[in-house]
Amino acid sequence: MEAVLTHHLDINAPLNLQAYRAAGGYRSLNAAFDRKPEEIIETVEAANLRGRGGAGFSCGLKWRLRGADAPRPRYLICNIDESEPGTFKDRHLLYGGPHQIIEAVIVSAYALQAEQAVIFVRGEYAKGGNGLRRALEEAEIAGLVGTNIGGNGFDLQIEVHVSGGRYICGEETAMLNAIEGRRPNPRPKIPRPSVKGLWGYPTTTNNVETLVNVPHILLNGAAWFHDLGVNGGCGTKLFCVSGMVQHPGLFELPCGTSARELIFEHAGGLAEGRTLLGFLPGGASTAFLLPEHLDVPMDFDPVAKAGSRLGTGSIIVLDDTTCPVQVTLNLMRFFARESCGFCTPCRDGLPYLAQILTAIAAGEGQAEDLALLEELSDIIGPQSFCAFAPGAVTPLISSLQGFRKHYESHIATGRCPFDAADRNGA
Amino acid sequence: MGTIRIENHEIPFREGDNILKTALAAGMEIPYFCYHTALGSLGACRLCAVEITPKDPGKAPQVVMACLEPARGGIEVSISSAAAQQVRQKVIEFLMTNHPHDCPVCDEGGECHLQEMTVACGPPYRRYRGRKRTFTNQYLGPLVHHEMNRCITCYRCTRFYQDYALGDDLGAMRLRNEVYFGRFQDGPLASPFAGNLVEICPTGVFTDAVFRQHFARVWDLKTAPSICPHCSIGCNTLPGARDGMLRRVRNRFHPDLNRWFICDRGRYGHQYSEHPARPLTSRVDGAKVSYRQALAAAAEQIKAVGDKTGGLGSVREDLEGNTLLRALLNGFNGIFTAFSDPRLEAATITAVTALQNTTGAPSLAEMEQADAALIVGDLTAHAPMIDLALRQAYRSGARLAVLHSGPTPLARFAATALAIPPHEMSVCLSHLSERAAAPSAANSNQKEMLANIVVSLTASHRPLLIGVTETLSASQIAVLAQLAAALGPGARLAYALPGANAYGAALLSQTGRATAMLEAIETGHIQNLIVAGNDPLGDTRLGARWRAARQRLDSLIVLDCVATATAEAADILIPVAAWAERSGTFVNYEGRAQGFTHTFRRPEFLPSTAEVIADLARHLELVLPDIAAALGDTFPGYQAPVPGAPGSPLPAPAIPMHIDTTIHQGCESHPGRWQAALSTWYGDDPLASFAPALTELVPAVAALISPAAALNEGIKAGERVRLQGPAGTVVLPVQPDNDVAAGTIALTRAVLAQLGAGHGDPLELEKVS
Repeated sequence: MEAVLTHHLDINAPLNLQAYRAAGGYRSLNAAFDRKPEEIIETVEAANLRGRGGAGFSCGLKWRLRGADAPRPRYLICNIDESEPGTFKDRHLLYGGPHQIIEAVIVSAYALQAEQAVIFVRGEYAKGGNGLRRALEEAEIAGLVGTNIGGNGFDLQIEVHVSGGRYICGEETAMLNAIEGRRPNPRPKIPRPSVKGLWGYPTTTNNVETLVNVPHILLNGAAWFHDLGVNGGCGTKLFCVSGMVQHPGLFELPCGTSARELIFEHAGGLAEGRTLLGFLPGGASTAFLLPEHLDVPMDFDPVAKAGSRLGTGSIIVLDDTTCPVQVTLNLMRFFARESCGFCTPCRDGLPYLAQILTAIAAGEGQAEDLALLEELSDIIGPQSFCAFAPGAVTPLISSLQGFRKHYESHIATGRCPFDAADRNGA
Repeated sequence: MGTIRIENHEIPFREGDNILKTALAAGMEIPYFCYHTALGSLGACRLCAVEITPKDPGKAPQVVMACLEPARGGIEVSISSAAAQQVRQKVIEFLMTNHPHDCPVCDEGGECHLQEMTVACGPPYRRYRGRKRTFTNQYLGPLVHHEMNRCITCYRCTRFYQDYALGDDLGAMRLRNEVYFGRFQDGPLASPFAGNLVEICPTGVFTDAVFRQHFARVWDLKTAPSICPHCSIGCNTLPGARDGMLRRVRNRFHPDLNRWFICDRGRYGHQYSEHPARPLTSRVDGAKVSYRQALAAAAEQIKAVGDKTGGLGSVREDLEGNTLLRALLNGFNGIFTAFSDPRLEAATITAVTALQNTTGAPSLAEMEQADAALIVGDLTAHAPMIDLALRQAYRSGARLAVLHSGPTPLARFAATALAIPPHEMSVCLSHLSERAAAPSAANSNQKEMLANIVVSLTASHRPLLIGVTETLSASQIAVLAQLAAALGPGARLAYALPGANAYGAALLSQTGRATAMLEAIETGHIQNLIVAGNDPLGDTRLGARWRAARQRLDSLIVLDCVATATAEAADILIPVAAWAERSGTFVNYEGRAQGFTHTFRRPEFLPSTAEVIADLARHLELVLPDIAAALGDTFPGYQAPVPGAPGSPLPAPAIPMHIDTTIHQGCESHPGRWQAALSTWYGDDPLASFAPALTELVPAVAALISPAAALNEGIKAGERVRLQGPAGTVVLPVQPDNDVAAGTIALTRAVLAQLGAGHGDPLELEKVS
């Protein structure tokens, strides 16, 4: 398979405008301007391009539901606030090819007839943000961004907003608050941002990986996009593999590639003599999958069917030397730390879970702790204000199911069986 | 309007209301923390969980937050379902992981919303075994005490302070379970409404720092419905006392006036009644005497001079005291007025007359609905709660225009704010009034801005005009009323009057009486003056003249509860009950008579002013009607308002409106190079100036002039100037301020009193080298 999204990426020397154009960049602008906006939305919908930020919602449908008659001004937000542990695909897109992002934003904004776009960059990716700003300046000077783009009568301003740097800023409505200069707490989901979003106007937010697919779909068509995938998937997907593998890294592969192929072929498999304990298929806020799930195609529906989510397509691998309690505790500490502090179950519930896990991991767990973890998670997930806490308790709940005997052993023996001292036979 | 089933009761709901609001309105209890009627729903605390069963039998019941879920017909709501209770219990358990179990030493204990909810909804035992999070507290000034460890992160404080009251020095910082509500550094809270944090906080994070000095548990406090004595709004309050001492004041809900909030002057000004210098024993010629001896001495004086007695009531004296004093004076044909300054007398009477001849002043709740407002003067200092009401109007999109001579906090929120020198205010208001009547072309920048104000007022549906009586002349007040009339029947008119009972006092006074009284004293026609709750000797403009006139008096009899300059100079001083220690009536800026009743009695014998006058009449063997009869004679059909009720309009025959609105060009256009403007602050009134916690916050005294004027005069910030007024000179540092009009020096009440100058009077300024 030939790389589509990563074809011209170079994180050490990203293509400047001239080079990017020479490599065929910005061709999709003409392809877009030759069509009516609603035709583009139809094509994207037909391509079955699903949101790469984790939710997997149909991009074309999202655009169509915003409505062609939405009041103005309309906003498009390109989300590069990639903060999920184990996920580094958007960073690659940002550092490796800023012009690809700008091109994607222009054609997407045209499809949405949005006059203002904001590219929201994770705070820790500030350098990438600088590169993006330089590329944007080139594009502005070349008349690719601004008023009457390409003599087509389409106006678009693009702003690069580098985040203050918190996980929650990536949440759709918290991001709106962040851009407006407010505290990045999530907002109520009704009215929807597509009705009342940034500054009170219709706003569409897409993950950057989703958007960079759009120019390619415009140039090559929906059928081409379908054919890129395997096992029923559409398009290519940027997969990150990290954890206990020989060659962790980023891989652009057909959507639907199996986890087994990703882990054992592309990421080099496990170290000599190790066996697979389990893996997170889609980043920190997805449910653990077990070795029996290795052949599940890495695509939205099959992974969901297996009881987890494709999420960001970022696999974190645990082998038989990894303590799953420690891994879960690590994740829970992360989520407890990144809670925005808005609603009670998330703000005060996650540290509660982390405290119990800390005790268990240290061998100080009590017999009733596992039931308590489940009891608390049952409230924290569903009763929180936004999707953060449900995501945060997902790995815990699946970990308690999949690795129960490890938890029980921690509690029963009063120590962690994976401690180096124990393994060395001390 | 449909109905929703809550706990098997059919409850009517208004379209757009959520389940929580609907249930609370119907008197059904759903536990909550972050919701507040004034602040609306937030959805943060997750305590108001209820289970709803959709109409569609195929759909399973689900737990939702009552504050976020719209009320809809056909759904069933269960507050008591096991699933909903489970959520509430967990929420309390989560909050309690960090909340210190310090109820026995917490000021909030006994009136703590968290305490109540924990008992009502929470688990009985603690399961969390981890450490609690701890914070460092901040010093937030003398009014509000900070104890962050108790915080349950409901965001009510910032939502009130920032979103509702538009303050900007308190906010939410940091994240996760370390969200910190405070200032960016230690220091006094700047908002005039900061004290409301004490009540809006559902637990003991923000507590009353003044109450804390003489703390009592809520169940030990004696309370009674009262009315705030610190300005003309008449906010309803609930003073709390114990052991013969007033400990604190809290808000008491009034549906049209203050509702959930009061200003800091109203909350903390009460300290005057516990001031160490407060007169508590009668004095004759400086010697302590019994109440009876003082009465006898006063009666003797009055008998000696007969009808050569004058009576000076007060805008802060209750309706009973003023009415009975006037009745006493009528008994021997003496002069009565409630005003020591003829200008203020004329202005207040004109304002009340104007209100009587229109639809009357709108309530605070109505003011919040205004879509355009013209404000003349500084409301924040003279009627803080009107300021808060206009901040709500501003939040809803009202266009505010402010004409001011000195600094005014509302200017920040105004679409148009014009700094006008006091002597140009008349021309300015007349111009507005003429324009509203007949639009014409603008020929100067200022006129264009005035034209814009008229356009905005004319275009609005509910325009509101508000003047500050103390800084306006009678004719300016009348012009403002004309402007209201020109804007049509939809326009509302209000004035911030100069005292809690100024409206009532004005109805008992007559224009010209203050001048007549002063002249009568100066010519020896009045030899005996009874002053009730007034301070003529401390008057900003005429204090010096009053002090000179006082030398001609045979006897000065003073009834008061604070140690004013006049009380200090009294021949006979009879201390009276402060407002929380007596029952009485105040008539607020709308003409609404509101009764208050005594919360407690001090150990000393302290009668009300009306009681003193009645006793004095008995000593004089004068037949004086009792209070009820005197009020009935003065205000036909008068019924004493019941304390705790919302009050009723004072029945008063309307004074016909015949007011001279011609502008006296001669005296108004040549005031000299400089003129004075009264610039005060929200904690200032004759009573609150005896409240130590408030006086700690008094802004630094300086001569405020416009930066352009400072540049012109070659004066830099902090350099000193000598100001000369009719009564004296004062040396002050200069502080340039953009909100001060050209040629104007904005000064505090105390400085004006030293200079003997009132608002708009000429002054001389000279740089001190």
